[in-house]
Amino acid sequence: MITVNYFGNIAEATQSDSETLDQKSMSLEELLNLLDSKYDIRKFQFQVAVNRKIIPKQQVLTISDSDEVALLPPFAGG
Amino acid sequence: MERFQRQIILPGIGTSGQQKLKSSRVLVVGAGGLGCVILPYLAAAGIGKIGIIDGDKIEESNLHRQVLYASEQIGLYKVKEAADAIIKKNPGLEVLVYEEFLTAKNAPEIFSDFDLIIDATDNLFIRYVIDDTCVACGKPFVYGSIHQFQGQVSVFNYEGGPTYRDIFPEENKSAPNCAEAGVLGTTVGLIGMLQANEAMKIILGIGEVLSGKLLIYNLLNNTQQVFEFGNAPKSEKRHISASFKLITAEEALLGESVLLDVREQGEMPQVNLENVQQIPLSILEKELGSLDKSAEFRIFCQSGVRSRKAADLLSQKGFEKLKLIRGGAQDLLLETETNRIEKE
Repeated sequence: MITVNYFGNIAEATQSDSETLDQKSMSLEELLNLLDSKYDIRKFQFQVAVNRKIIPKQQVLTISDSDEVALLPPFAGG
Repeated sequence: MERFQRQIILPGIGTSGQQKLKSSRVLVVGAGGLGCVILPYLAAAGIGKIGIIDGDKIEESNLHRQVLYASEQIGLYKVKEAADAIIKKNPGLEVLVYEEFLTAKNAPEIFSDFDLIIDATDNLFIRYVIDDTCVACGKPFVYGSIHQFQGQVSVFNYEGGPTYRDIFPEENKSAPNCAEAGVLGTTVGLIGMLQANEAMKIILGIGEVLSGKLLIYNLLNNTQQVFEFGNAPKSEKRHISASFKLITAEEALLGESVLLDVREQGEMPQVNLENVQQIPLSILEKELGSLDKSAEFRIFCQSGVRSRKAADLLSQKGFEKLKLIRGGAQDLLLETETNRIEKE
């Protein structure tokens, strides 16, 4: 299972703060494509964190079972 | 020192720490929800000099969260009312007020009077101006922002640490502000308090500063998560701006040139000047044929990222006279407005 946590306006688009994907392993690119097809996330500005470390979205990386991915948009309220 | 006795006895502070607070100079950008919390706590703690910059006036819809203000102050400038409220908290405090909005043009001079900048704005565009100016003049800034019941806090450009652009490099997408997304007073209250706390730690040299770390607090379930990030590789950062001349909006309006707006159709504010040509960056490569290679192009967008990309592209295609307008559309608009008023 891969856990994906959502924040800010992305959590509004996904209508949840978190979900688990029934996947053992997939590339970061595949994961982002999957989320984009479900929620159209590419219209947002966001960064990706894997296990609480922010990494470039283009990074070639395999997300494995029990990894925690977070999509972090900038906030603008104050 | 009786006033500060209870904090002086804390480990790591002492009279020397109190002296550090007294000799520190902090600029708070924005006197809204975050600013209303940051300002009184910094003032009460004995910070020596506090600057407040904001061009807004108090509105009724601010009062539920901007707790320095009351009903009878509606219509008055926030900075003056905020200054009156905090000056009483410490007789030794010097307060400087700037009754204007921060722009790429006024930021360098204003920042030069302070050691630490606190971003209490509700505007993504200005955040990039704060980031760029802090990098240019080597000052740290404490970032805080909220989205509904969540808040983010971080410290950028601290002792060579990463900057806001390192974490959010794309300026050409928007994020909703409080007016659009809604906000509860306690959310800005907590996030503003965390910002004031980071500012105190930086000044006192105690604890672990949130440099290279983004804290996200969710007030609906009281969870907080800290995400780590590093400096983006230097090669990907600002390599383009070095090779093009940056000019101010004032300079941009002088002499003959094409003011090239590379923002998408409909982006605000619109700049309606005779010599403005709008070609969004997304279609610039296809539209190159419509541009005169011998002309001088002064390029602008919202905050400077797209104009740099556009200049890079034009340069590759053989255009030679290319300049970037600092402060983008916002500054151009202010400048044309200033010219118009001066003529009248």
